[in-house]
Amino acid sequence: MSERRTPPRLVTKTLAVTFGTVVLILLFVFAVVTFSVRDQVRQSVAGNLASSQRLFAALETRRQQELVSQAATFAENPTLKAALDTYQAESRTGAEALRSQLLRTIDGELAKVAARFEADALVLVDMRQNTLAAAGRLSDRWPRGRPVALTGAKDGNLDGIARMGGTTFRVAAVPLRLSDDTTIGTLYLATSLDSAYASDLAQVSGTPTAIISNGLLLGSTLTPEGAHQFESAVGLARPLDGVITLDGQSYAFRRLVGIGDTVFYALGSIDGSSREAMRQAMWNLTVIAFGALSLALLGSLSLARLLAKPIGHLSSSLNQMAASHAVAATLPLTGSSREVDALTDTFNALMASVAKAEAQTEAAYTGAIRALATALDARDPYTAGHSERVSVISVAIGRGLGLPEDDLEVLRLGALLHDIGKIGVPDQVLMKSSGLTDAEFAAIKLHPVLGARILRPVPFLARHIPIVELHHERPDGRGYPFGLRGDDIPLAARIVHVADAYDAITSARAYRAARPSNDALREIWRCAGTEFHAEIVAALANALPGVTSDDGQVTLQSV
Amino acid sequence: MRRSLIAVAALVTTLLTAVPRGQTADTGSIVGHVTLTTKVRGVPMPSASYPGRTVGQHEPPTIPEIKNVVVYLKDVVFRGTLPLRKAELRQEHETFIPHVVAITRGSTVEFPNDDPIFHNVFSLSGAANFNLGRYPKGQSKPWRFTKAGIVKVFCDIHSHMSATILVLDNPYFTIPEKDGSFEIANVPPGQYTLVGWHERVGERTTTVRVERGKAVTVDLSLPVEDRQ
Repeated sequence: MSERRTPPRLVTKTLAVTFGTVVLILLFVFAVVTFSVRDQVRQSVAGNLASSQRLFAALETRRQQELVSQAATFAENPTLKAALDTYQAESRTGAEALRSQLLRTIDGELAKVAARFEADALVLVDMRQNTLAAAGRLSDRWPRGRPVALTGAKDGNLDGIARMGGTTFRVAAVPLRLSDDTTIGTLYLATSLDSAYASDLAQVSGTPTAIISNGLLLGSTLTPEGAHQFESAVGLARPLDGVITLDGQSYAFRRLVGIGDTVFYALGSIDGSSREAMRQAMWNLTVIAFGALSLALLGSLSLARLLAKPIGHLSSSLNQMAASHAVAATLPLTGSSREVDALTDTFNALMASVAKAEAQTEAAYTGAIRALATALDARDPYTAGHSERVSVISVAIGRGLGLPEDDLEVLRLGALLHDIGKIGVPDQVLMKSSGLTDAEFAAIKLHPVLGARILRPVPFLARHIPIVELHHERPDGRGYPFGLRGDDIPLAARIVHVADAYDAITSARAYRAARPSNDALREIWRCAGTEFHAEIVAALANALPGVTSDDGQVTLQSV
Repeated sequence: MRRSLIAVAALVTTLLTAVPRGQTADTGSIVGHVTLTTKVRGVPMPSASYPGRTVGQHEPPTIPEIKNVVVYLKDVVFRGTLPLRKAELRQEHETFIPHVVAITRGSTVEFPNDDPIFHNVFSLSGAANFNLGRYPKGQSKPWRFTKAGIVKVFCDIHSHMSATILVLDNPYFTIPEKDGSFEIANVPPGQYTLVGWHERVGERTTTVRVERGKAVTVDLSLPVEDRQ
């Protein structure tokens, strides 16, 4: 047989089941929370971008209007207008010297305006859309006479994009007019779209920004690597908004302003925002998990107690029963649960049937043995009924001594079997009417030991064997087979010894007649303390009236 | 006195009925009609969201665009003394009125200020480079134009104010009537280049032959939007 493994304890199992369930639920909640937090953060970042885009668009429109207003104010420069108008009138006829003088005037006026104005370039464009003059930091990108193409400037929209000298400019255009609404030229306020501009945008929008023009990145506040990735991802498509991964970070982006092929984007980091939200959610989840696990621990412990306690109780009761061989005892119902009570009931029923079967077995044994004893007694007509009578008398004595019912039962059967060993004594010895030889007497004296030997294989007669084996021992130590003294002799054996003697005296024998009860009692009293125990003899005297008829014969009804 | 006036009137009437109008015996005249056709105002630009800077309410009197046209003969060698004209360029409602003035070389133009505010008159043109300074209402300053050419006149206070003075080397020029009709009288017979000029269009020319005692008819069309 393989080695039997000890199964786990009930509490371990309930803990495992509850913890497993709770951990599964927590994992599920974790997954849901992770997903929903990310989703919510993405939505909120996109929402923030959308609202900041609206705000930005409003701000930007206002800024552009103010720029144009300011430029229009500067465009109301009489000298500039006069020089421009005169230059254009003289361009057909006037002398070269005059024209260059007018241009110098224009340059000078433009420089004065540019000095008070925050534009990368202030450019005067004539009616044929050619550059006439430029001032400002990046005026070298606007050489005189170069045609200017303004893209993205729609009707009523003075905002446009111009590419000059490798630089992309955002241009606010202000027409120069005379009183009869005659346009004589246009003043361009050009701002270079570069990283500095992107930083300005970022300050206004409060988010990272990027400027894409014609598929190329002009400037951004992103890292160079991120900017490059953004450029290649957005490119010429110019989507309105979306989500993108740059440099391993997730961003939502949205178009702030689009002018022609040039688009300004605002970006919002999703990872950055979701990290904080995740931390908060995880902290909450940890608290919940701790609480849930504690509750699960308590719950499973109490569940285990609830289950294990009655079962343990039942088990210990059974242990006690097994130890005491009290098979007939009934287990009390715990009332803790229907199942445990059903188990107890079933067990009780089982034990009852076991007890019943055992009693039947015992009765069968007893009957067999009694039959044997009776048969034994019947070998000699003089000893017929002897065993039964000894049994009756012994029980009467025992009852008189106040023995418990259990002991009385042992006494009853033990007395019935006390001479069973005589089966091994030859008939001629047993039924000899004259005196016995020493050898013959020795053979008779063997019968207690023989009886014990016969009965020893029968387990349930273990308590009866001392009665059979020791019913010829005497308090003075002159008895057989062991010559035990006084208190060494068991009480039951003492009782049977006395009862045996009484019945022997009051029964007829081949060699003598039966003697009356009083004679017998007197005879036995005479030997009290030596051959018999005195207190047993006294008990016999007290008990006899209950078991004998008027003529002193023992009645057998009570056996 | 009165009698002599009547006598002059009678003489003039006789002359006008005897020979074609505006014509002496040994000269001819050019009559015609100027039509303003299409709108040519350069590349159209978006209108400014910010209106031009003006001071107060100004409602310039509407001048028909045809009055900004000058018809003249080009490259005429004029012998003799140019008749001088007295012209006036008023400053009224923050506008120079009229917008276009044609004079002979050597003529003087007066610039009276009729507005209740200061004005200035200056020019950066090659034909005349001057600055009359700023002066209030009621004052007037003259300038004599000694060089032929186009003179652009501005006000250095009000940048939207502008006017053009055409200084010509001959007396054969006119500004058409409101209906576009014009007449240049007393032109010696010969072949000429007739110019219809507008400041935004420049010169549109045509050849014209003037015969003694006759009026030659020429129609000109200029691609200028007529605002009326």
